[in-house]
Amino acid sequence: MQRKTSVFVETLRYGTIFLVLGFFVFPIFWMVLTSFKPEGAIMVSPPRFLFTPTLENYAHALHDKNFLFYIKNTLIISVVSTAIVVVFGSLAAYSFARYNVGDGHILFFILSTKMMPAIAVILPYFLIFRDVGKTAIGKSLHLGLDQHGALIVTYVMFNLPFAIWLLVSFFQDIPRSLEHSARLDGLSRIQVLRKVTFPLAAPGIAVTAVFTLIFCWNEFLFAYILTRKMASTVTVGVESFFTLQGILWGPVAAAATISVAPMLIFVLIMQRYMVRGLTFGAVRG
Amino acid sequence: MYSLVDVHKRYGLRTVALRKLSLDIRPGEFFVLYGPAGAGKSTILNLLAGLTRPTSGDVRRNGASIVHLPPERRNAAMAFENYALYSHLSVAENLAFPLRAAGVKHAEVTARVKSIAGVLGIPHVLDRRPGFLSGGQRQRVALGRAIIRPADIYLLDEPIGHLDAKLRHRMRAELKALAVEMKATIVFTTTSSKEALALGDRVGILNAGRLEQVGTPADLYDRPANTFVASFVGDPPMSFLNVSTRAGDSGPVLVTGDGQVIAAAPLSALGRTGLKVGVRSTALTLVEPGRPETLAGRVEVLEHLGHSKIAVIAAGTDPIQVSLPADAALRPGEAVGLRIDPTRLHIFADETALTMDPA
Repeated sequence: MQRKTSVFVETLRYGTIFLVLGFFVFPIFWMVLTSFKPEGAIMVSPPRFLFTPTLENYAHALHDKNFLFYIKNTLIISVVSTAIVVVFGSLAAYSFARYNVGDGHILFFILSTKMMPAIAVILPYFLIFRDVGKTAIGKSLHLGLDQHGALIVTYVMFNLPFAIWLLVSFFQDIPRSLEHSARLDGLSRIQVLRKVTFPLAAPGIAVTAVFTLIFCWNEFLFAYILTRKMASTVTVGVESFFTLQGILWGPVAAAATISVAPMLIFVLIMQRYMVRGLTFGAVRG
Repeated sequence: MYSLVDVHKRYGLRTVALRKLSLDIRPGEFFVLYGPAGAGKSTILNLLAGLTRPTSGDVRRNGASIVHLPPERRNAAMAFENYALYSHLSVAENLAFPLRAAGVKHAEVTARVKSIAGVLGIPHVLDRRPGFLSGGQRQRVALGRAIIRPADIYLLDEPIGHLDAKLRHRMRAELKALAVEMKATIVFTTTSSKEALALGDRVGILNAGRLEQVGTPADLYDRPANTFVASFVGDPPMSFLNVSTRAGDSGPVLVTGDGQVIAAAPLSALGRTGLKVGVRSTALTLVEPGRPETLAGRVEVLEHLGHSKIAVIAAGTDPIQVSLPADAALRPGEAVGLRIDPTRLHIFADETALTMDPA
């Protein structure tokens, strides 16, 4: 009797799981499938699941459109932005968590910068970078339009508040007595940070890094406005397949697949570090 | 020698942790800070460790102020009440941490970790992370990490408070033996009267940021300075009777609220109001009801302790605890007489709470 119910419940459970999974995974599956389709098999009705796979879309994206160039730009911009965000975000968050700088007001101010829509500041950003790019400092730091520095600054600006906010709670979860104990064992403040605090906050820092990197990788609006060709990222690259002659669906799907792959691999690697349970709960008595 | 001189410690604007407290800790002694939760015990340890600074007053080592010395230069070792174990390191690495920080050689670190784990009874968990240990095991790791390296002073914040009764008893004995062997200066906090009396060379009784009394366990037990100390030291706690004085046939006597004469009173108690008499449960004997110079009472509750019994007797309005042999035949509700050993009672004037022993 009991067993029968459980079989029913199990079926229902797995049915639901597959339904939800299908809903989320199908678009990606279709994108990957499309990237291997010959041109004639893409926009047909009814949709075709069986066809002779071809690599010509990838050849078009990689060779004719030089898509790896966009990947390289994105990699530079995302990684540098993320590194800056993680380093300064951690330091700021530690300070907020331990010394309550500004009694919460500064922290709120930092978060409040996230409250306006990005598009509200896009024109000022455009004008600022256009002019800064002409100055000596702007030139040496590549801060002009269609240069990597401009996007890096923008992404740091947009991700830092969120990163600080996220990291503060991670640092607050580390008991002060751990740092006290290390101090008594003869470590200086800086050594304590390096050997105790940051290793303990590692899962939080990993989560922050993942979120920041994903944001930078997928950002379109600023990349589209602030770059033309030399510093364009993958999102802008994919958009360039939407030509006046029509949308090149096969190459678009191939380019999109290439763009998604690095993030997917990265997140899979980071997943291990993102398991909070590894650290938290163990700290507590 | 470590000294706190007129130390006042305030957290924020309102919370006062220590009020003008002065205390000397002698080299090589096992000093126990004993008091209820929130009395300021941990604050004293933090001041000695350099983790907090006094609002006013001075912390000295051998006469020289160390207020501005950072914790890493004080050569103090501390076991924290919440363990403070590094959850990203294994138990062995946790124990090795203070040694590695001090630059001890690898082979010696391994040997020391092994030996300390043996003393604490945790050699089988060395490879685990703190998250996978029981509370008692974590506490032992915390204690081990504190005592693994030589230090000028060991600050142990309730290091055996969370162990089960049997282990706590064993650790108490081992800690005492270890302290003698190390000839170390130890400051130990506890909320257990038994631990305080069993471990301390001297005990400081702390209440609401004040030191009520500092002395050897015998001092505190036999000559409590006030009712707080009297009621807080010893298990079962001292019982109190509200009394007044009256002229008797041969000098003043102490009388209870309902007119029963207990014992002769010292001359200094004459004319004082609000007097209290404190008696230990062992200074009382039960006799037939109605005998002269005894207190009439009724048995309310009987507690079995195994080796003895504690009877709670209602005498007038005051509950009084009496120690009895385990085989004493007594039933709740029974009327009894209480005889107080007049040489073993303590008299307090309750506003000032000072001893006025007739001796």
